[in-house]
Amino acid sequence: MEILRKLYEMTAFSNLLDNPAPLFMLAVGVLLLYLGIKKQYEPLLLVPIGFGVILANLPGAGMGIVPGDFIELGDNKYMNLFEIAHEYGIMNFLYYSLIKTGLLPPIIFMGVGALTDFGPMLRNLKLSLFGAAAQLGIFTILLIAIAVGFAPNEAGSLAIIGGADGPTAIYTTIILAPHLLGPIAIAAYSYMALVPVIIPLVVRMTCSSKELKINMKEQDKLYPSKNVIKNMKAVKIAFPIVLGIVIAFFVPTSVPLLGMLLFGNLVKEIGANTLRLTDAASGPIMNAATIFLGLTVGATMTSDVFLDLKTIGIIVGGFFAFAISVFGGIFLVKGYNMFAKKKINPLIGATGLSAVPMASRVANEIALKYDTKNHVLQYCMASNISGVIGSAVAAGVLISFLG
Amino acid sequence: MSENFELALQLLGIGMVTVFTILLLVILIGNTIIKFVNRFIPEAPKVVSSRGRSSGGISSGKMAAIVAAVQMATNGKGRVTSIEKE
Repeated sequence: MEILRKLYEMTAFSNLLDNPAPLFMLAVGVLLLYLGIKKQYEPLLLVPIGFGVILANLPGAGMGIVPGDFIELGDNKYMNLFEIAHEYGIMNFLYYSLIKTGLLPPIIFMGVGALTDFGPMLRNLKLSLFGAAAQLGIFTILLIAIAVGFAPNEAGSLAIIGGADGPTAIYTTIILAPHLLGPIAIAAYSYMALVPVIIPLVVRMTCSSKELKINMKEQDKLYPSKNVIKNMKAVKIAFPIVLGIVIAFFVPTSVPLLGMLLFGNLVKEIGANTLRLTDAASGPIMNAATIFLGLTVGATMTSDVFLDLKTIGIIVGGFFAFAISVFGGIFLVKGYNMFAKKKINPLIGATGLSAVPMASRVANEIALKYDTKNHVLQYCMASNISGVIGSAVAAGVLISFLG
Repeated sequence: MSENFELALQLLGIGMVTVFTILLLVILIGNTIIKFVNRFIPEAPKVVSSRGRSSGGISSGKMAAIVAAVQMATNGKGRVTSIEKE
């Protein structure tokens, strides 16, 4: 009998009977895997996050991330990485070395930079301004979240979901409210995956078919741009260098993200001479960073963290942050069109979010539904790319005031 | 609570003004760089050589598209030396 009892205690069944909540989390993990694999919603992130959730909630496996106070030794001293690995296992070692230090989001931003082409933005510089208006959701939801009882640092982390940028949301949350990292990362990536649903929904509610038929190429012919770029390669090389330096003076807290983004972009634009760096940044380094980011963020989602009223607040608030951001961009375009001769399609405002290039592709499809000759992709990419800069700057502001 | 709400209101103002300022700066910097480059280094390195076989009969638009495609595919390493119609 004693042997049977010991055998029972050795298995995970005893843990499950004591606390069945991990079963719910295993279902959440499987749901995320389903969305990633079957529905192909952001599979590069939802698959590692989903599997991380499963690993963290396997009873007795010890793969869940422990709260920061578990590794505190008192007097502002913490366990070293070897002690963390020894005491709490490999997943905590990865989390505290790669995530808690804020290392991985800037590394991913470097890869994003190496995959980004600033060309469409440079050709339509004025459209960048709509990337600013589309940050409205961040600061509006910050206000609402505080009004409903979130602490300012938690509200800041929730609000940054409105920037529609996964690495930015994760980086901001690591600094402001690391205990909410799991739910915020999942909300951010889920809503990014739902861009093809959210943007058409907001556009339908706010734009007329006449507005959506505004043909940007015809407007360009009627009112041609004064700035013709004679040497695009030189402009593309100079742009990240000058921009990086200038932004650093205004919002230094955004430099870890924007600096790495612009560095990645610079090595891409130099071309053949730095091709190996570009390949590394946008390939192996970014892929490895994505795997570890996804798994460790997923592993923060233990049942005691996720099964909380705040998680529901984050999921609801994140949706509204996203939708208000889309509306903010559209609203500015409408205001601009009231005074300007050269009209702008409001879809270009709707893509002021960071979700590059999905938001632009979705907007282009909407435009083509209203006019089969109206290709707005390149114009949308201008505001879309500037949205990446805008959300990183917004994150810098939040970190400066709430961090 | 009211203190926090005041902070959030402040951040709404400061945040939006900062984001608009930075993106206005992006426009300003972009335009300045374009003007500078147009004035001092206006031409990209020539990629189409007149050596080899004739590339006559192809419009400049098509030529530019081919050159751009080759540059993109070879990450700037490749050069178009001649274009021939079959």
